[in-house]
Amino acid sequence: MKLSMTQAQRKVRTKNLWVLTSLVILIVIVFMISMNTGYIKLSPLEVVRTLFGLGTAQQALVLFDFRLPRIVLSILVGMGLAVSGCVLQGVTRNALADPGILGINAGAGLVVMLFISFFPSTTDTPVFMLPILAFTGAGATAAIIYVLSYKRHEGISPIRLLLTGIAVAAGISSATIILTLRLSPENYQFVATWLAGSIWGSNWKFVLSLLPWLIVLLLFVYLKANVLNVLNLGDLTAIGLGASIEKERRILLAAAVGLAGASVSVSGGIGFVGLVGPHLARQLVGARHQVLIPTAALTGALLVLVADTIGRWILQPSEIPAGIVVAIIGAPYFLYLLSRLQD
Amino acid sequence: MVASSELSAPKRSRPIRAIIVLFGGMLALLLAIGLSISFGAADIQLATVWTAVFSFNPDVTAHQIIREIRLPRVLGAAMVGACFAVAGALMQGMTRNPLADSGLLGINAGAAFMLAICFALWPSLPYLYVILFSFLGAGLGAGIVYGVGSMSRGGLTPMRLVLAGAAVSALLGALSEGVALYFRIGQDLAFWYAGGVSGTKWIHLQVMSPWLLAAMIGAVILSRSITLLSLGEEVSIGLGQRTKTIKVVGMVIVLILAGAAVSVVGAVGFVGLVVPHLTRFLVGHDYRWIIPCSIVLGSLLVVLADLGARMINPPYETPIGALIALIGVPFFLYLARKGGKEI
Amino acid sequence: MTAFNVDRVAVGYSNSLIIDELSVSIPKGEITTIIGPNGCGKSTLLKTISRILRAKNGSVILDGHDIHRLGTKEVAKKMAILPQTAEAPGGLTVFELVSYGRFPHQKGFVSLKKEDYTYIHWALDVTGLMAFKDRPIEALSGGQRQRVWIAMALAQDTEILILDEPTTYLDMAHQLDILLLLQKLNREEGRTIVMVLHDLNHASRFSDYLIAMKEGALITEGKPEKVMTCSNLQRVFQIDANLMTCPFSANPICLSYQLCQ
Repeated sequence: MKLSMTQAQRKVRTKNLWVLTSLVILIVIVFMISMNTGYIKLSPLEVVRTLFGLGTAQQALVLFDFRLPRIVLSILVGMGLAVSGCVLQGVTRNALADPGILGINAGAGLVVMLFISFFPSTTDTPVFMLPILAFTGAGATAAIIYVLSYKRHEGISPIRLLLTGIAVAAGISSATIILTLRLSPENYQFVATWLAGSIWGSNWKFVLSLLPWLIVLLLFVYLKANVLNVLNLGDLTAIGLGASIEKERRILLAAAVGLAGASVSVSGGIGFVGLVGPHLARQLVGARHQVLIPTAALTGALLVLVADTIGRWILQPSEIPAGIVVAIIGAPYFLYLLSRLQD
Repeated sequence: MVASSELSAPKRSRPIRAIIVLFGGMLALLLAIGLSISFGAADIQLATVWTAVFSFNPDVTAHQIIREIRLPRVLGAAMVGACFAVAGALMQGMTRNPLADSGLLGINAGAAFMLAICFALWPSLPYLYVILFSFLGAGLGAGIVYGVGSMSRGGLTPMRLVLAGAAVSALLGALSEGVALYFRIGQDLAFWYAGGVSGTKWIHLQVMSPWLLAAMIGAVILSRSITLLSLGEEVSIGLGQRTKTIKVVGMVIVLILAGAAVSVVGAVGFVGLVVPHLTRFLVGHDYRWIIPCSIVLGSLLVVLADLGARMINPPYETPIGALIALIGVPFFLYLARKGGKEI
Repeated sequence: MTAFNVDRVAVGYSNSLIIDELSVSIPKGEITTIIGPNGCGKSTLLKTISRILRAKNGSVILDGHDIHRLGTKEVAKKMAILPQTAEAPGGLTVFELVSYGRFPHQKGFVSLKKEDYTYIHWALDVTGLMAFKDRPIEALSGGQRQRVWIAMALAQDTEILILDEPTTYLDMAHQLDILLLLQKLNREEGRTIVMVLHDLNHASRFSDYLIAMKEGALITEGKPEKVMTCSNLQRVFQIDANLMTCPFSANPICLSYQLCQ
C-alpha cells in the first residue's frame, strides 16, 4: 500500500499550482494594462522603471500617488469580498450567498456613510476608523438578517435567507439615501457613487487602514480550511466528525462579515464578487478549502481589478464605478446559478 | 394541498366594507391632494387651492403655481400610485404569488432601462413616444424574469421569481447607469433611480390618461376572472375560463400600467406589493372590489409619500422611492416569513 | 461487554416528547439494529446516541462518561456517524471526501500526515473504491456514493459506527453489498455497528442484536431469534407474519405477512 500521494494526486497538485500561477500572471498583466489606462499613459517599461525609482517626477507621482494605491485597493477588496463569499457559502451551505446580495455590504455602507457625513474632514483618524465602523454595521445587519430568516424547527432555508437579505439591503439603501440627504445635500453625489461601488479611497491611507484587517482575517480563514471542509458536509456529518458546529459557524461568520465590512468601507457597495469569485474558483480547483480559498481570493482580485480597469478605460476621461461593471458580469451569473438551484 | 384548503374556506367578499373603503379612501385622497397642493415653498391656503381649480385667475401668482407646478404633480402622484397598485393586484391574483410587485419582479427596472436608452439616443423624443419605450422595457424586464424563472429546475415558485427579479433589476440598473454615464445624461436620469414626481408636467398626464383609462377599464372587466384565477389555474379551467387569454390580457395591462408609471416617477417599488395586500385585508378576496379599492388606496399612498418626501427635509426633496421602501421592506419581510401561503 | 449505555433518556422537540425514559445497552463488537414502524423514534434514538440531539433527561454513557461531557472531537475519535441524508457539496473527489474523515485526528491547520494516508487508503481499499478515488463524487452511482460515505466514516478510525438507514434508495443488490461490507468490518475488524434498517429480513439476517421500538418506547431487545417472533411482530408492526429460517444466516426471516385484524 502506498502511503503518500499517488501520481494522480500529484497531478492535481500540479494543476492547482498552475491555476494559481496563471491567476497571478493574469493579475500582473491586468495590473500593467491598468497602469497604462488613464489620462497619462505609462508603458510597461516605464512602469517598471518608475517602480525602481528611475522614472520622471511626474511619472512617479502618477504611479505612486494615483494608480498604484487604487490598483492595490482593487486587489485587496476583491480578495476580501471573494473570501467572504466563499466562507458564507461554505458555512450556510448556500450556493448563492454573497455579502452584497445578503445586504451585509449595505449595512456596512450605512454606518460608513453616516460617519463620513458627520466627519467630512480630511484628518487622519477617521480613515482608520472606517473598517471598524464598517464591521459594526455589517455585523449588526448580519445579525438582523439571521434573526429575521430563522424559523424554529425549520432553521434557515437558503432561499429565505436570500430574500431577507435582499429586502434588508433595499431597506438599508433607502435609509442611507434619506439620512444622508438630510445631513447635507452635497453628499448625494457621493452617496450615489458609493452605492454604485466605486473604488473611491484611492490613497495609501486607505490601503493602510484596510491591510491589517485583511491580513489577519484572510490568514485566520485559511487556517480554518479544515473546519470549512467539514461544515460544508452538512450539520449531521460535521457533528459526527467532531466539529463544534455552532461555535465554529459563529466565528467563521464573524470573520466573513469582517472581511466584507472592511472591504466595503473603501470600495463602496460592490456586489456579486463574493458570488462569482468562489464559483469560478470551485470550477477551477474543486471544493477543498485549502486550495479553494487562495484561488477564490485571486479570482476575486482579478475580477475587481478588471472591472475597475474597464470602468476607467471605456469612458475616458470619465469613469464607470467598478461595482456597475461587476454587476453586469455577476447578475447574469447569479441568474444562471439560481436556475440550477434546487430547493 | 394549499388549493383544496383554500377552496374549503369560503372567500367572503364584503361589499359594504368595500364601499366604505372606497368612499372613505376617496375622501382621504381628496384631502391629501388638497394638503399636498397647499404645502410647499410658498404656503398656499386651502381656500386658494379651491379657487385656483374652480375659478382660475392667471394674474394671481398662487394660482399660477398651483396650475403649473403643484396640480400636475399631485395628480401625477395619484395616477402613478393607482397604476402600481392595480398592476400589483393583477399580478398577485393571476400568478397566486403574494410577493408579486412590478418593482420586485424586474418590470420597473426594465422600463427604466429602456427610458435610459431612449434619453441617450433620442434626447428630444416627445413624451408621446417615450411612453411606448417604457412599455417595451417593462415587457423586457418581465420577459427575462419569467424566462429565468421558468427555466429553473425548481419551477416558478414565488420566492424564486423574486430572487430572479432582484438579479434582473441589479443587472438592468447597472446597465442603465452605464448608459447614463456613457451618454452623460446622469443628471437627467438621476431622479429615475430614486423616484420622484417633481418633474410631472401636464403633457405627461395628457399622454398617460388614455392608456391608463383603457388599462383600468380592462382591469375592472377582467376582475371577475382574476378572482377565479386566484383560486388556482385548474379550478379556473374547470369553471370554463380561458385562462391563457386572461393571463395574456392581464399581463399586457400590467405592462401598460407599470410602464406608464415608471415613465413618470421612475422605478418605485413596493406600492404594488403593499396596497393589494392591505386592500385584500380590508375588503376580502373579490377582485371586483380589490381593483377599484386598490386604485384609490394606491393613489392615496403615493400622494402621501410625496407630501412626506417634501416635508422631511425642506427645501430638499427626499426620493419617494426610498420613503415607500421603508414601509414596503418590513411588510415584504413579514410576507416572506409567512412563507407566502396566503393570497 | 457493552459499547455504551443509554440511561433513561427522554428526547423531544420543544414541548412534545418523542422518547421517554428509555434505557438500553449496546453490546460491544456486535451489529445492533433498531427496528420499528415509521415515527416510532428509531432515528431520534440514533441521533441521541450520536449526540446530534441532546436528551432532556437521562444520559448516554460512553466509556463511563456522559457523551455531552466529553469534547466533541474526543467522541468523534470513538464513534463515526453516517446520517441518512448525507450529501456532498459539488466539486469534491472521492479521496478528498474520505480524507475529511481524518478531521477529528487533525490539529488546527495541518495537511495530511503519513498516518492519515494509511487510514484513508485502508478505508478506500476495504470499501473497494481505490479505482475511483480521483473521480468527482457527482460521477458515481448511488451505491458507490454510499460506499464513499462509509469510507469516510471508516477513515475516522472509530470503535463504533452509527448508520441511519444506510440502504435507503439503493436497489436490492447494492443493499446487500453495503450490508455485507458492514458485516465484514464487524467480523474482521471487530467494530461495533449500530444502525436503523427498514427491511426486517435484512435486520434479522445481519444483526447480532435487535432493538424493537414503538411509540418512543422499547418493546423488546435481544438476539434476532428472540425478537423476530410472531407475537413481537404483532405488537410492534401490527402484522401477522409467516416466519421461516433464513438459509444464509439461520436467523428468522419473514416470508410474507398481512395486517392484523
